Amino acid sequence: MKTRFLIGFIAIGLVFPLHSISQTLPSGQSIANKTHTRDEGVSLSRKLTMELKDKRGKIRIRETTSFRKYFGEEKRLVIFYLTPKSVMGTAFLTYDYPDASLDDDQWLYMPALRKTRRISAANRGDYFLGTDLTYEDIKLETRINRDDYTYKTIGKEQVDGHECFVIEGLPKSKEIAKELGYSKTKLWVDATLWMLRKADNWDVAGNYLKTIEIKDIKKIQGIWTYHKIYVKNHKTNHETIFRIDEVDYQTEINDDAFTKEALVNGL
Amino acid sequence: MLYRYIVIGFLFSMGVHAQKKQNTFREAFKASLVIVSDVSYEFKNEAFQKSEIILKPEFSYRLNRNSKFVLKSQLYTELNDNLERGFSEDDMASDFSKRLFIGDRTNLELREFFFYTNFKNKLRLTIGKQQIVWGETDGLKLLDVVNPQNFREFILDDFEDSRIPLWSIKAEFDIKNINVQFVWIPDNTYHITQDFDAPFFTKNLFQSPPEGIPVVINETEKPQHFLNDSDIGFKLNTFTKGWDLSLNYFYYYDDLPVFYNVLQITDTNNPYVTISPKFERQHLIGGTFNKVFGSSTFRGEIAYIFNQNFPSINPNATHGIESSNLFKSAIGIDYIKGEQIISVQLFNDLITDAISPYNRDLFETNMSLKISRDMMNDALNTEVLWVQNVNHGDGYVKPQISYWANTNTQLFLGSSFFYGNESNLFGQFKDRSRISFGIRWGI
Repeated sequence: MKTRFLIGFIAIGLVFPLHSISQTLPSGQSIANKTHTRDEGVSLSRKLTMELKDKRGKIRIRETTSFRKYFGEEKRLVIFYLTPKSVMGTAFLTYDYPDASLDDDQWLYMPALRKTRRISAANRGDYFLGTDLTYEDIKLETRINRDDYTYKTIGKEQVDGHECFVIEGLPKSKEIAKELGYSKTKLWVDATLWMLRKADNWDVAGNYLKTIEIKDIKKIQGIWTYHKIYVKNHKTNHETIFRIDEVDYQTEINDDAFTKEALVNGL
Repeated sequence: MLYRYIVIGFLFSMGVHAQKKQNTFREAFKASLVIVSDVSYEFKNEAFQKSEIILKPEFSYRLNRNSKFVLKSQLYTELNDNLERGFSEDDMASDFSKRLFIGDRTNLELREFFFYTNFKNKLRLTIGKQQIVWGETDGLKLLDVVNPQNFREFILDDFEDSRIPLWSIKAEFDIKNINVQFVWIPDNTYHITQDFDAPFFTKNLFQSPPEGIPVVINETEKPQHFLNDSDIGFKLNTFTKGWDLSLNYFYYYDDLPVFYNVLQITDTNNPYVTISPKFERQHLIGGTFNKVFGSSTFRGEIAYIFNQNFPSINPNATHGIESSNLFKSAIGIDYIKGEQIISVQLFNDLITDAISPYNRDLFETNMSLKISRDMMNDALNTEVLWVQNVNHGDGYVKPQISYWANTNTQLFLGSSFFYGNESNLFGQFKDRSRISFGIRWGI
């Protein structure tokens, strides 16, 4: 009888802590959803500097100015290259639709041709302008993909002294994994700000691929804003540092800044 | 006269924005310099075909959020004086657009100088010397006829360098979701073609007179009137349901003169040919479309030109010229897979009337294939372009590698191989095949 009671007690004791963790930790999907509710402002202008460092330590720097604006739920983003001077004026425009089944519309203006070329946005896993982030990574910024992964919350950890939920995501299908370029993702999401602070990704073959760290998060004009993203590709040993400056959520940006014609007219 | 209009335009626009807050000079003024050096070695002649250094300073001054001045100039030096031999008078350029030659090898050019303003988010004006580019195609042009071109390297030069900017006004505004663009171009500057002894003299365009018969070439009859001879056009552009669509109209002088020719007899009964080049007007109507399907972009362009003139082999043709409407079309697909782009284009030209044009068929087809691949996080790019005329079997292949050595320096190694019959457009340059090395640096 005693033995039976003891086994029962241990069993309850084993189950109870698990039950209490699952009660205190939100689900991975709810964390992903929550990152989309964060205030990002209606419009944003900023300077984005991309520092590309190869495995031999050679550094190339690309400076850009970008503008982003929400049109309802549709997000439009335009990026103008400032340097290198020989490609100054190169510009990239994207319309990101709220309907996940719709591909983004994207245009690239090439000053050497003086033409705006429509480009496919179907390959979300392609690398963005030579950096170590994919187009999908760039599009999400510090939010979490809501539709393509099955998430599991695996705990809480501190990143740079901030409490984060740790969630693991597996693509819902092989096709999605191939499209995104990841077979698994592990994400550290700030438990207070609902911003991604760190991510580890594995490639389609299951190899450890890259680490993304989001740093220097501070409030600008009342909105939590990151100022640095560090990305290391463990396969190629290539690194990218994104530095964000001159952030401005308040200056109004004209709607016609997000058109093909605006790419041609430049900054 | 032209300057007066432009200055009035500038003053008007500046006055409109005078009440707006001025930036500090440091924020408003931007300057940059790009230096390009390019050397090409010609296989056939075992000699340097090109050895050029180009300095491209650029300045911009932003008056406020909506207005700016842009100035782009160029100092061009061709060390071996081969592509444009000797001192050029720039006869095909208007007085306002001539280059300033310093000796045979060097010239200074005001490439672009314009004022841009966005007037109350309703009207966008670009006033001054500028490039206006229409169309969707790469390599061969259908609607990209607003600005003329310098053919010093045939079509091998970057269009950014070979296209000749013009003094013009571009006005843009929106009607609902349609962008309307009007262009007015009073600048009577036309294609710069090369002399008979230049490497890229396009001999296939001209019918040679019978051997032994002398030729008298009269001075080219160029349009002279500021208003009456200006080019005008418009473009309507919209983006709807995933389709990018444009409709274009242009009333302009063809940038190549028509070479009217007459066989005459001297007082001493000796025959000779008189050639009288003259620029002729024409109307063009056309349009473009593109749409993305999965990983591919499908794009196309059409142009219908009224009364295009052609040199004729019909002995009854008046002054050796026949005219016909000309329908041009191009369709292309760009397929993107990872860091690789495959681009295929098919061009068709149809002369609608039953005429007998010199050195071409009534229906001609060209095709192009471009494969490009970025590597090493876009530090290295390899590319090959193949253009082929289906009717005559001539064409060219242009492989190139480019490499970013550091933030500001890009290196190029490339080659151009022409093939085909010497009487055809590309084949005539088969002795001009070359290997090139270049460096581009900017600060």
